[in-house]
Amino acid sequence: MAEDKKMKRCPVTLQPDVEGMLSWNDFDADDFESASQEEKEDFIQERQSVSYWKDAWRRLKKNTVAMVALGVIIFLVLFAFVGPYLVPYGYEEFNKGAENLHPFHYALEDQKRLEAEIAARTQTDTMSVDDMIEQAKAEAEAKGEKLSNVEIAKIRAQAKVNTQNTKEEDAVDPEALLGELGIKKKLFGYSTAELERKAAGESVFPHVFGTDMYGRDILVRVMYGARVSMSVGICAAILVLCIGATYGAVSGYCGGKVDAVMQRIVEVIYSVPEMLVVLLIATALKPILTEYVNTGTGPIKSFVAVLGPNLISMFIAFGMLYWVTMSRIIRGQVLQLKQQEYVTAAKALGASGGRIIRRHLIPNCIGQIVVTTCLQIPSAIFLESFLSYLGVGVSAPLPSLGSMATDALSGMYTYTYRLIIPSMVLSVMILAFNLFGDGLRDALDPKLKK
Amino acid sequence: MRLLRSITKVRVIIMGKYVAKRLGMALVTIFLVTCLTFLLMNAVPGSPWLSEKAPSEATLAALNAKYGMDKPVHIQLLKYLQNLLKGDFGVSLKMQKNRAVLSIIGEMFPVSAKVGAIALCWAVLVGVPLGCLAAFKRGKLTDSILRVVCTLGISMPSFVVASILLVTFAGGIASLKIFPTIFDASAGWRSYVLPCFALGFYPMCYTARQTRSAMLDSLNQEFIKTARAKGLKNSKIIFKHALRNALIPVITYLGPQVAFTLCGGFVVESVFSIPGLGRYFVQSIQNRDYPVIMGTTVFLASFIILMNMVVDILYKIADPRIHLTKGGE
Amino acid sequence: MAEGKDKGKLLEVKDLHVSFFTPAGEVKAVGGISYDLDYGEVMGVVGESGSGKSQEAYSIMGLLQSPGKVVGGSITFEGQDVLKFSKEEMTSFRGSKVAMIFQNPMTCLNPVYTIGNQLVEALRAHDKEISRENAEKRAMEMMEMVGINNVEKRMKQYPHEFSGGMRQRVMIAMGLICHPQLLIADEPTTALDVTIQAQILELMKELQKKTKMGIIFITHNLGVVADICDKVSVMYAGKIVEQGPVDDIFYKAAHPYTLGLLRSMPRVDADSYERLIPIEGTPVDMLNPPEGCPFAPRCEHCMKICLKKMPPYVEVGEKHRSACWLRVQEYLNQNSDGREEDGDEQ
Repeated sequence: MAEDKKMKRCPVTLQPDVEGMLSWNDFDADDFESASQEEKEDFIQERQSVSYWKDAWRRLKKNTVAMVALGVIIFLVLFAFVGPYLVPYGYEEFNKGAENLHPFHYALEDQKRLEAEIAARTQTDTMSVDDMIEQAKAEAEAKGEKLSNVEIAKIRAQAKVNTQNTKEEDAVDPEALLGELGIKKKLFGYSTAELERKAAGESVFPHVFGTDMYGRDILVRVMYGARVSMSVGICAAILVLCIGATYGAVSGYCGGKVDAVMQRIVEVIYSVPEMLVVLLIATALKPILTEYVNTGTGPIKSFVAVLGPNLISMFIAFGMLYWVTMSRIIRGQVLQLKQQEYVTAAKALGASGGRIIRRHLIPNCIGQIVVTTCLQIPSAIFLESFLSYLGVGVSAPLPSLGSMATDALSGMYTYTYRLIIPSMVLSVMILAFNLFGDGLRDALDPKLKK
Repeated sequence: MRLLRSITKVRVIIMGKYVAKRLGMALVTIFLVTCLTFLLMNAVPGSPWLSEKAPSEATLAALNAKYGMDKPVHIQLLKYLQNLLKGDFGVSLKMQKNRAVLSIIGEMFPVSAKVGAIALCWAVLVGVPLGCLAAFKRGKLTDSILRVVCTLGISMPSFVVASILLVTFAGGIASLKIFPTIFDASAGWRSYVLPCFALGFYPMCYTARQTRSAMLDSLNQEFIKTARAKGLKNSKIIFKHALRNALIPVITYLGPQVAFTLCGGFVVESVFSIPGLGRYFVQSIQNRDYPVIMGTTVFLASFIILMNMVVDILYKIADPRIHLTKGGE
Repeated sequence: MAEGKDKGKLLEVKDLHVSFFTPAGEVKAVGGISYDLDYGEVMGVVGESGSGKSQEAYSIMGLLQSPGKVVGGSITFEGQDVLKFSKEEMTSFRGSKVAMIFQNPMTCLNPVYTIGNQLVEALRAHDKEISRENAEKRAMEMMEMVGINNVEKRMKQYPHEFSGGMRQRVMIAMGLICHPQLLIADEPTTALDVTIQAQILELMKELQKKTKMGIIFITHNLGVVADICDKVSVMYAGKIVEQGPVDDIFYKAAHPYTLGLLRSMPRVDADSYERLIPIEGTPVDMLNPPEGCPFAPRCEHCMKICLKKMPPYVEVGEKHRSACWLRVQEYLNQNSDGREEDGDEQ
C-alpha cells in the first residue's frame, strides 16, 4: 500500500500516469516482445512524395486570382483566334450604310415615334413666312395702305430670326424626348437598313461594338487586334527567351573572362533606355524595310511583306534589347547551380559540359524560365500597343488595339466607345498575363516571398 | 583614432573609384546610342528633302554639300559627334525650318520635366505607403485589393489611362467636367492634375508593388525577430527597422522609373496637348524630321543614362554595408 | 537553488501543444510537453532539427510565426499566464522579463543602424524615462561586461564591422541590458567556430553566476549541455522523452534516444579505430505523427507495444523521468514482484 502511494508521485503531465496503468489488464503477453523489422516499417506512414511539378500545380490551383487570370487568357485566345469565324464581318469590310453606329440602337418603331414627336413639337406655333406676309398685306389694305417692299423684307428677316430663335429655345432635345417617351436603348448596333432587313425576317448579325466611321465592324477589328497583340507578345517572348537563355547559360557556365566580357556587354545594353531606342529603330527601319519589300526578292521578302515592316522592326528592336533581363536571371541560376554538389559529382563521373547544361542546369532553371517568359508577354504587348499608338507599330490594314485607340482619339467625346473598348480589351489582356505570371512565380518558387 | 581616419579615407577612395567607373560606363553607353542613332538615320532611304517638290539635281547636290551629307558615313559621324560636343545638335529640317534643335529642346524640355517631376513625386509619395500597407496586411483583403489594383495599374498603357481620364473628367460626362482638356500652363494648377495623374499612375503602381515585396523581404529578416524579442512596439519595428531596409531598394527602381516617365510622357503630352518635348518628339517621328529625332533621342537617352548612374551611386551611399566591401558589386 | 523555493517557480510549462496550420495540413510541432524552471536554474533542451525545441521556446515569448499557434496547455511565468497576455503586456514582457538570443548573429542585427543605437533602443523600449546619456552609459557597461574592448568606438560601428563572436556578444549584451529573469538561448553557438564557442559559453556561465538568471539553452550538441546546464530535457518529435539532472542524463541515461545521442558523439578518449555509432533511420513526419512512441522505428529495443501506444513517464531517479516502455516493463516487473509480496501479505 505504501509502495503504491510512492509510485503515484509522478510529475504532472497529461501523459498517463504509470500508476493508472497498473490497473490495465489489457497488456497482452506478447506486447513486450520485440517488434520485427517489417512491423517497424509498416509503422512509418510515408508521406506521398510529390514531384516538383505536381506540387507547383497544386499551389497554382489554390491561387484563385491566377486561375481566374488563366481563364481570362483562354477566353481571350478563343476570342481572338476563333471569334472572327463566328462573326460574318471582315475587319476591312466597309459596311455601307452602317457607319458610325454606337453599340446600341433603337427599335424601328421607336425611331418612327421619335421622329413623329419631334416633327409635331417643332411645328406648333410657326406660321410659314408667306402666310405672315399675306396677313401683313391684309392688315395694310385694311388701313388703306400698301405694303412696301422694305416692310416685306423686314417681315421676312424677322421671321427668319424668329425661326432661328425658336430653333434654339424651343428646339426639341432628342435625348430628353427619349426619356419622356420611354424609349429604351437596345443592345448592339444596327443600321436602319439592317433593322429593316431584320424586320423582313432576315437574320442579321449585330454590330456588337458598333462600327467606325468607315462602317467597319469594331468587334471583328478588336478580335483581330487582340490576335495581333497576343501573337506579337508570345513571339517576342519566345525570341527573348531563346536569345537571353542561351546567352545567360553560356555566360554563367563558362565563367571567368568570357563571363566578365559578356556581362560588360549586358550592362551596357541594360543601361540603354529601351523604349526610346525601340521607337527609334522602329521609325528608322520602317522605310528601309518598305523599300526592301518593294525592291527585294525571295522568300525573306514575302515573309517581311506579310508581317509588315513595322512589326519586323519591332521584333528586331525587341530582340536586340529586351533579352538582357532573361539572361541575367538565367546566369544567376546557372551560377548558383554550378556550385551545387551534384554538378561536381557529374563532372567527376566524366559528363561533358553540354550534357551537364542539358540534364542538370536547365531542368532546374525551368521554373524561372517559364515565369520570366510568361511575364515578358505583357511587356511585349505593352510595347506593341505603345508603338502602334504612336504610329510606328503594326501597319494598316491590320488592326492593332493601340492603333484603334489612336484613331478613336479624334472622336473621343461623341464616340467614346471606340476608345474605351480596345483600351479595355488591351488592359485586360495585359492584366491577365501579369496576374497569371505572378501566380506562376508564387507556385514555382515557394521560397520567394508571397 | 588613426584607424578611423584611414577607414574613412578608404571609404572615400572606394566610392570615388565607383563613381568614376560608372561615369565611364555611362559615357560609353551614350556614345554607343549616339552612333546607333546616327547610323540608323543615315541608313534610311531617301533624304529629308524628297517629300517636298522634287528639287533638281543641282539643288540636291548643293543642299547635300551644305549639310555635309555628301561625305562618307564615318566622316559624317565624326562631324556629328564633334558638333554634339560643341552643343550643336543640328537644325530642324521640317517642323521649324532652320531652328537649332538644341534651342527647341531647351524650350520644350522644362515643360516635360516639370510634369514628369510632379508625376514621379506623387507616384513615390503615394506608392511607398500603399506598398507598406499591403505588406503589413499581407494575406488579408486590403492586400489582395491593393495587389490587383496595382497590377491593373501596370497593365494599363499610359494612353489608356490618359484617355479614360480625359473622357471622364474633362469632357465626356458633363457633370464631371472639372479639369480642362487643353493644357494651359498659365491657367493655374488645374491643368496639371490630369496629366500628372495619368503619367504617375504606372510608376505609382510599380513602386507600390516593389515596396510591398521589399517590405515583405525586410519583415522576414532575422533582425526583425530580434527586434520583436527585445520588446519593441510593432509600429517601431515596422517604421524604424523594416522600412529603412526596404527603402534602399526603392532607390534602385527609381532609375528605370525616370526613364519610363519620360517615355510615357510622349503619350500623355500628345493626349493632353502639352507643349513638351515628348509631344514634339512624336510629331517629329510622324514627320520624319530626322535631325530632331536624332537630337532628341541623344538628349533624352543621355539624360536617362545619367539619371540611372546617379541613382546607382545614391544606392551605394545609402547602404552602409557597401562602404567597406571592395567594389561593392 | 534554495532561494528559489520561496518565490515559487520561475517558469512552469504544462502540457504545451503547438501546431502549424500549413496548406498541407496540421503539423503538430510540439505535442504536449511539461517542465519547470527554478530561479537561477539552467536547463538544456536537446534534440534534432524538427524536434520542436525552438518552437516551444518561441511560444514562451509569443514569437511564434504564423501559421504556428499554441493550441493547448499553459505557460506560467512568475505566476502569470503568458498565453493570456494582451499585446501591450507581451511587448513589455519581452526583453525585460525574458530575453532571447538567436542562432545566427550575422543576420540578427539590423545592418543599417549602429550597435550603440540598437542597444540603446533595447533599453529605452522598457525604461521610458532614462536619458540618452545614461542609456548610452548603460549600453557601454553591458558591452564591457560581455568582453568587448574599445567600447566607445564600437558603439558607433555597424554590425558588419564586427566578427561573428563579437556579434553574439553584442546579442547577449542586448538581451541582458534590461536584467531579465530568464534568458532563452536558441542554439547560440551553433554558427560559431569551436574556439569562439568555448569563449561564449564561458561568458554565459560567468554572467549567469553574476546575475543569477535562469537560462533555457537550446542546442543539439550534448557537449555544450554538459558544460553549462543544471538539468536537461531531451526532445524528440515534439515530446520530451527524457528529463533529469545533467549528471543523470549523462551517466544514467534511461531512454534509447538519449543513449543513441551519447553513443554517436565522437569522444576524445575513444580508440581511433572505433566507428561512430549513428542512430539509424530518419526523423518523424510531423504531419502525420504516428500513434505509439515516435522513436519506435529507429529504436533497437522496439517492442510491439511501442508501435501501439505512447509510453507514459516513469520516474527512474530523483527528478529524473523517462518515457519508454522498457522502463515501464521494468517498473511493472518490480511492482508485480512487490504486489505478489503485498498480496501474499494480505
